[in-house]
Amino acid sequence: MTRLIPDWEIRITNFGLGYILLCLVVAIAATNTGNNGLYLVLAAMLAAMVVSGMLSRRNVRSVRCQIETVGEVVATRPAWLKLRFENQLSGTAQALFFLHEALPGPLWIDPLKPGETRELIVEGTFPRRGVHQTADAGLLSRFPLGLFRKYRKAALAREIVVYPLPLASGVPEVPTDEAPGGRPHSLARGGGSDIRTLRDFSPGDDPRDLHWKQSARMRRLIVREREAERDRVLFLAIDNAFTWPPDAAALERFEQTIARCAGQALLLLSRGGEVGLHARGVKVAARSGRAQRLRILDALARLEPVPKESAEDFPAMRRGDVRWFVS
Amino acid sequence: MVRFLKGRRELPEGLRRAYLLVLAPAAIVAPLPLFWTDGANRLALVAYEIGIALLWWRARVGRPVRLSDAAQNVLGLAYIGWLGLETATLRLGLLRSVSHLLLFTAMAKLASLKRPSEARLALLILFLLTLASASSSTHVSSLAYFVVMGWLAFRTLSRVAVLADFDQAPPERVLASVPTSGVSVVAVAGGVVCAVPLFFALPRLHGPFVVAPFRVDDAFSKAMTADRVDLESFGAAKRSDRVILRLSARPTLPAADGLRLREAVFTEYQDGSWLRDPWRGSRREPSAFRGDAAVASRPGSWVVAADLNVFGQGFLFLPYGTTAIRVEKGRASELPEGVMQVSSRGTVHYEADVLREPARGKGRAVILRADVPPEVQKYAIELTSDLSDPTLIYRRIESHLLKDFVYTLEPPRAKGDPITHFLLRSKAGHCEYFASAAAMMLTARGIPARLVTGSYGGEEGFLSDSIVVRGENLHAWVEADLDGTGFQVLDPTPPAGVPPAMRAFSLMSRLVAFGREIEFFYDRRILGFDAGDQIGAVESLRESVGDATGALAAWRQTAKDFLSPRTTTTLLLAAAAGMLALLLARRIGARPSPATQAYLILRRLLGRRRGILPQSMPPAEVARLFGREVPPGARDAAEVVEIYTASAFGGMEPTPERLRQLKERIARLRKLA
Repeated sequence: MTRLIPDWEIRITNFGLGYILLCLVVAIAATNTGNNGLYLVLAAMLAAMVVSGMLSRRNVRSVRCQIETVGEVVATRPAWLKLRFENQLSGTAQALFFLHEALPGPLWIDPLKPGETRELIVEGTFPRRGVHQTADAGLLSRFPLGLFRKYRKAALAREIVVYPLPLASGVPEVPTDEAPGGRPHSLARGGGSDIRTLRDFSPGDDPRDLHWKQSARMRRLIVREREAERDRVLFLAIDNAFTWPPDAAALERFEQTIARCAGQALLLLSRGGEVGLHARGVKVAARSGRAQRLRILDALARLEPVPKESAEDFPAMRRGDVRWFVS
Repeated sequence: MVRFLKGRRELPEGLRRAYLLVLAPAAIVAPLPLFWTDGANRLALVAYEIGIALLWWRARVGRPVRLSDAAQNVLGLAYIGWLGLETATLRLGLLRSVSHLLLFTAMAKLASLKRPSEARLALLILFLLTLASASSSTHVSSLAYFVVMGWLAFRTLSRVAVLADFDQAPPERVLASVPTSGVSVVAVAGGVVCAVPLFFALPRLHGPFVVAPFRVDDAFSKAMTADRVDLESFGAAKRSDRVILRLSARPTLPAADGLRLREAVFTEYQDGSWLRDPWRGSRREPSAFRGDAAVASRPGSWVVAADLNVFGQGFLFLPYGTTAIRVEKGRASELPEGVMQVSSRGTVHYEADVLREPARGKGRAVILRADVPPEVQKYAIELTSDLSDPTLIYRRIESHLLKDFVYTLEPPRAKGDPITHFLLRSKAGHCEYFASAAAMMLTARGIPARLVTGSYGGEEGFLSDSIVVRGENLHAWVEADLDGTGFQVLDPTPPAGVPPAMRAFSLMSRLVAFGREIEFFYDRRILGFDAGDQIGAVESLRESVGDATGALAAWRQTAKDFLSPRTTTTLLLAAAAGMLALLLARRIGARPSPATQAYLILRRLLGRRRGILPQSMPPAEVARLFGREVPPGARDAAEVVEIYTASAFGGMEPTPERLRQLKERIARLRKLA
């Protein structure tokens, strides 16, 4: 049997349908025979439906569920989810299952006492990259009699960004400084050996950068401002324009491209390079370091295919920058 | 957005065990009433119960039974053969055959659970077993069965609903935690509250399927339902504690007079049995029993309302002096000698208008002298030959029976005529023997007499001022015309045999009486509930609403008469003053703590210097600004704020010493500000 994370709030179960059918059968039998024993059973069955409705309504609606991720979330890799349940009911909320697409099956939640708040950390796996603005998750319960399934969506503490799983592939060669285009001057300040400019000393400047001769001439403290050490900048590029509507194979190739792009970006960044990302309508400026890694993964997680007809051009590049189309 | 979860095939062992643990208790209880209703062979039931208990036990120890498909097939085929034999040869009846089939199927299904759908099928079979038990049971204990099954059904269904979402064996704590006992109690109580009105509101198109609380095997029925009544069975009827009727009276019934209820008159005696022949004479509508609304208002009269469990021919128990009768459903017919008969089945409600007058039997039929056995005639003449006055003759007979005879509900079995045997040999019997002998002897002496049966005495109802008449209150006496003034009531039974007019009640007997009230209610209002009752209930409701409306109108008129403009103004003013006092009291009750009050004073003082302070200004800012405005008071202000924040946000109430200091600080701040 296949069960789904529901897009409804209440649905009758097969058992519930059978129960209603049985009620009809008992009603016919009672009416035809006049047997008050059967009338008692029928009355009890109908009363059970009323009681069931009231109890289940209170049971599910009273529990608030909030989800947030702990750490980075990468597609198809285990990730930690922090679940927070709060019972706002004056009675115990029970027979609750937590459903989430990242979990392999329904997660049993032990009964929540009145007013109780409970936090759980569970391991889940998101099947694909992307951004979850709303929770594809919630609480499901058949309580008390299993006649109906009631579902309440969970809330996200913040959006969940599922990064693509980086795939290893060939790393692009960065052209040497001597290659056409030459090595441009870095626009950024940094700790390199080349001097970018001379300027007045300001608090926080390294005293070792004081330009004593010029300071003597100017009769005030002058420091050397150095250029940042950098290689030639590489932009990984992905063409996300498709003939619309894209077919499944094309989308699958697109996902593979993104995964390879992620792998290449991470590898280059791990070597200390400056890497940026270009796609149609998307630009991540080239930088290095851990923050850049997150920026690129975030952009790749959000990258969506666009129709070729309305697609923007790739962002413009500076002289000397290199764009590498990932395929 | 959809997400596929794991599919499900065959139940793993742990999950099967969980299903068995959930279903077995309900499976054990479901067919229990069949033991008493004879709805199934007791041996089969015992085998079933043992089988289910075994399955349960195996599941509890972690080794759930799982019959192989081959074993299942063999068992099924064998049972089909047995079923053919049972229906074709043994002819046990449809209910029994169906019950046996359900018992077998339930056990086989529980022993071979393979898929969740089979668990639900087992649940359906258990439901059908419950249905068979409920529909065949007519005893009041069925109510207890319904409550127990309601609780078990809720528990079972809740747990099955939980198990439906498990692919593997659930942790032990799961089944233990659902449902919580509080929810179970609420659910069962809520179910009862909803089910009661539903039961009475569901439409009835037929008369009740089962109505008589009197079982066929009750000896009672033999004595009281047939037109041919033998003396021997009367004792068995008196030993029964079945409820015959419950009656109440307006005004309250005088117990000593009013509790002799006449049911039947016997004037024919043949072969040791009394016969009542309702068809003798013309059958006619009860002309003497036309409703007379004025009767109840006459002094010395009252209205008796009774709920009678009708059995046999439907004779009503009526007090002497009945002048009119109203029957809730069915038709009442008057038979000779003032006996009334109704056509209803089950339980009938009727009201009788009764005049308080000396008890006199109606009609003129008497025992014929030819019907008196010769031995009895001889006995009577020997006993009373020296007397000629009918009253004295009766006194002699009564005295003789009192002194020389023993009252017993189990008289020695007679060979030949029972009255002759009673008088000449056993000299022991119950009221019918005494009354029969007296009536016969009076007849032998030429005094018009007849035997009357009915009831005498009763028990106080537990929850009402009604009187409950049960089997032990059945009684027989004589009606004889001693002085030409009509048939007087003569009771020759020794006092030991006369049912008590009213019982003294201990706590235990009150509890027993309470049980009988429930029993009567079940018999009358549940088992015998039908469309007529529904109509009656609707009419009662309509009357109640009408009465309430009338009462309201009368009250409004009274209020209008009573409330002059001045009185109304006074009352309104008083109400307004009361409301004001209430508001003040509530305000005083909600007075803030001393620390908060001090802080509010501080804010007020600062407000006087700086204008209105925003509500959002934090306490520390208040202290800081006050310090800036009044530098000498900065320290006191800071201290006030500290005490306030500790009290309001930290839950730390100031000690009495700090409170005293707080007051001093506030006083200083007032001066400084």
